[in-house]
Amino acid sequence: MSIKGQACVAGIYEHPTRRADDLSIARLHADVALGALADAGLSPSDVDAYFCGADAPGIGGFSMAEYIGLNNLRYMDTTETGGSSYLLHVSHAARAIATGQCNVALITMADRPLAAGAGPVLAGVDMSKVPEREFAPPVMVPPVYGYAMVAKRHMHEFGTTAEQLAWVKVAASHHAQYNPHARLREPMTLADVMASPLVADPLRRADCCVVTDGGGALVITRPEIARSLARPVVKIAGAGEAMRHSRGGRIDLLHSAGVFSAAKAFEEAGVTPGDIKYASLYDSFTITVIMQLEDIGFCEKGMGGRFVADGNLISGIGRLPVNTDGGGLCSNHPGNKGGMTKMLEAVRQCRGEAHPSVQVADHGLVLAHGTGGLLSSQHMAGTVILEAA
Amino acid sequence: MTIETKPPRAEVSPEARIFREAAAEGRFLIRRCGACGEAHYYPRSHCPVCGSRDVDWVEASGGASLYSFTVMEGAKRATAPAIVDLDEGLRINSVVLDADVHRLAIGDRVTVAFQADREGVLRLAFTTAEANAARAHTDAAMAAVAADEKAFAAGKPPVEIETVAVIGAGNMGIGITTAFLKAGFSVLMIDRAEEAFERARARIAETLERDVTRKRLSAEGAAATLARLATSTAMADLARADLVVEAVWEQMELKTSVFAEASRHARPGVCLCSNTSTLDIDEIAAATDRPDRVVGLHFFNPAHVMRLLEVVRGAATSEATLALAMQVGQRLGKVPVVVGNAYGFVGNRLMIARERQAARMLLEGALPRQIDAVLTRFGMPMGTFEMQDMAGGIELSYRNRQSTGEKNFIIDRLFEAGRLGQKTGKGYYRYEPGKTRPIVDAEVTAIIEAASADAGIERRAISDEEIEERLILLMINEGAKLVAAGIARRPSDIDVVWQTGFGWPSWKGGPMYHADRLGIGAVHARLVDLHARFGDPFAPAPLLETMARSGETFATLASSATGSETGTAR
Ligand SMILES: NC(=O)c1ccc[n+]([C@@H]2O[C@H](COP(=O)([O-])OP(=O)(O)OC[C@H]3O[C@@H](n4cnc5c(N)ncnc54)[C@H](O)[C@@H]3O)[C@@H](O)[C@H]2O)c1
Repeated sequence: MSIKGQACVAGIYEHPTRRADDLSIARLHADVALGALADAGLSPSDVDAYFCGADAPGIGGFSMAEYIGLNNLRYMDTTETGGSSYLLHVSHAARAIATGQCNVALITMADRPLAAGAGPVLAGVDMSKVPEREFAPPVMVPPVYGYAMVAKRHMHEFGTTAEQLAWVKVAASHHAQYNPHARLREPMTLADVMASPLVADPLRRADCCVVTDGGGALVITRPEIARSLARPVVKIAGAGEAMRHSRGGRIDLLHSAGVFSAAKAFEEAGVTPGDIKYASLYDSFTITVIMQLEDIGFCEKGMGGRFVADGNLISGIGRLPVNTDGGGLCSNHPGNKGGMTKMLEAVRQCRGEAHPSVQVADHGLVLAHGTGGLLSSQHMAGTVILEAA
Repeated sequence: MTIETKPPRAEVSPEARIFREAAAEGRFLIRRCGACGEAHYYPRSHCPVCGSRDVDWVEASGGASLYSFTVMEGAKRATAPAIVDLDEGLRINSVVLDADVHRLAIGDRVTVAFQADREGVLRLAFTTAEANAARAHTDAAMAAVAADEKAFAAGKPPVEIETVAVIGAGNMGIGITTAFLKAGFSVLMIDRAEEAFERARARIAETLERDVTRKRLSAEGAAATLARLATSTAMADLARADLVVEAVWEQMELKTSVFAEASRHARPGVCLCSNTSTLDIDEIAAATDRPDRVVGLHFFNPAHVMRLLEVVRGAATSEATLALAMQVGQRLGKVPVVVGNAYGFVGNRLMIARERQAARMLLEGALPRQIDAVLTRFGMPMGTFEMQDMAGGIELSYRNRQSTGEKNFIIDRLFEAGRLGQKTGKGYYRYEPGKTRPIVDAEVTAIIEAASADAGIERRAISDEEIEERLILLMINEGAKLVAAGIARRPSDIDVVWQTGFGWPSWKGGPMYHADRLGIGAVHARLVDLHARFGDPFAPAPLLETMARSGETFATLASSATGSETGTAR
């Protein structure tokens, strides 16, 4: 069964905060829920399906459903796949609507790692009992090192350079200057990025995304409802998801699960990468963007470094504008999960409501893609293709 | 004294017991499927490839090559997260530890080295063959030093030491006292005024308190330890001591008068030891009635933490005295190394040479951050300027030069600006309150640039390679001179000194071991070149020239050969 055109994004909201010292996690969830519902022109009582990840405190979505005041729920999905969770939620919501199980789905994401002093960890995820942990190295190896190893092998294999990685950040920072809420608004030159200190060779400080508090929400409805509302109609044209892990000692650093999730989404939407005029790509690190460009099919495997060079991801300059809100690299990466913000900017572009300085002219077909987990071991990719009605 | 250790939290799944037992023997087990033949990593009772339950353990070779890796910049322990290709065909996430991680490359061979985590559970990690070879050298060098005690004792029974007198309740006296107390000795501290003891007691109690907090010591144990401390302002009380250690101010007249008085009060035969870092042991010994029982015990700051103990042999020091000093050092849990009586002995001699050269490079165009980064990438736990900021080197240098009137543009300006190091929150770097992370400070850069201008030197960019050569080869050269002069009794003693006193990593062996790795011929040739460009400090030690010609290495160099050529320690 295809979901093509069977569900629409009717409302979006991104919390303006980047550091929520005075806001609880529950309050953040409620803020973004009410924001997205208001954007759609709906109220909590209209919601009959709720989607959230492990950042929502409590058993699944129970506590947030009560706190927000979702009193008419008949469908719930608490899929947790790290940063890609919300892309999967969009796909699941569209499928639930298409099969008649609900009409108005609310997806929320919110966390406050900065205010809590927690650093780059995922809320509600307990790794202490995973079986592979016992066989993990004797020292803690934070995620950045996993991505650094992907980058190192990519360089070794394909001749990708540190400057090419840096171009991803240059593009993000160029876009971020137009986003008043961006955590880092100062445009960076290639030299600025290259002067940033090494964190995990070859990744520099500037190759890493920001750590921020906040979150966002999405409202997905059936097309009839979306058309009755005031906002531009954004149809879900196709979606895909796929997982990869180490397979007992068979790590593949060169291909992410995005190869499979994107192929599935393109098939469902009946389009090709060449048709996409804007892409929100997960940017936990600069290398993540390069990997995804290849895996989705925007360029050949190994050519990602060359693809991003010379401003090719900058709106108005390059062939494929990416992350025109400044992305996780410069604007927002709430709760160390970037999937929600990827969806939000893709919807803005598809509506034609991105900042005028970064809005793409031809915004009929856009894509949002994310990878949750760790590219170098276990991860899950989600791809969503949106179409302006 | 009771030492309490937390029992390791068992985090071992029942299925992994065999894996753990093998790991304890250094054997690395993986799983292989009897049905499909595929191997997999970490135990399951089934094959994750085909699902068969016909799986069994097989022993892996332990050999692997690097598929990808990165380096934990700034980590205390050399750590390179790595994805390795096991020779058995598996590609897994792991880590390369305790090796020259900044010189790794994709494809490099690595080998299994199980490591206990914080809970004592053995976990899979890798290291390099070069690092293992350096550690084997380290083990042999340590064993040679440990064997010295017996050699000097020549079969005589060890002397019973109960009570140690420490003269001087200052910084070093406190650390030395703490070390003796923690090792179970009774200590009598002697200083001129009672006030000194209050501070001393407080600091010792603080150290013991920290051990209690970290559960290394029980509260009763701490109380009992402190109860073994007595204090006195009367030198006559030295009569109670079985051993005397002096740590008063670094002035020859003071030291000789203290030693003369000590020899009047201490029982006959009791050893008199000095903690001097720069003074002539023979001159101190001459002030006593027992020069054969006088020896240097050169502790390193903080004395209760640092493992190195240089045992300084004077011209008259008897072998029995050396044996006693070594015995005491070992009871303290230290690594006692016998060195000759020469300025800076062994450890500081190399350090001073390195500091001077580093200071010279500041004038020529380098900055502290660059020089320190070269040293830490080389493997040192910290750079020379960081170390000076930590140890108060700026103040020490400034004060030492006040009597001679000698000037040092950079250090004098830093001192005058109140930049005494970490203790004033700024030195060669600045520090956030309560933090020890060095931050580059424009004020220092300006002082350094002014110093270059003052000296009429046009600043230039100095490459990291040049910095490494000028610091490391210089140390090797200085070490060769010490070996030739018999100040170091063995080349490997220098390696032990730099590992235990200055943090040279065991996976890199030590300066003299490193010289052998570089090749003596190459070291000599580079020194000849550096001598032409940068002057006297690089004039190659004659020993290096001889070795370069004969093809000998520091490892093969027989001690008799150096002895006949150059004489032994004074
Ligand atoms: N600071 C170091 O890193 C270090 C390292 C190794 C060796 N040393 C050596 O240790 C010795 C002491 O250095 P410090 O840093 O502890 O100095 P300090 O100034 O902290 O302490 C010296 C102490 O000696 C006491 N003293 C002076 N004259 C005395 C006398 N006649 N009788 C009894 N006590 C007397 C003083 O009251 C003071 O408490 C010096 O020889 C120094 O070279 C220092």
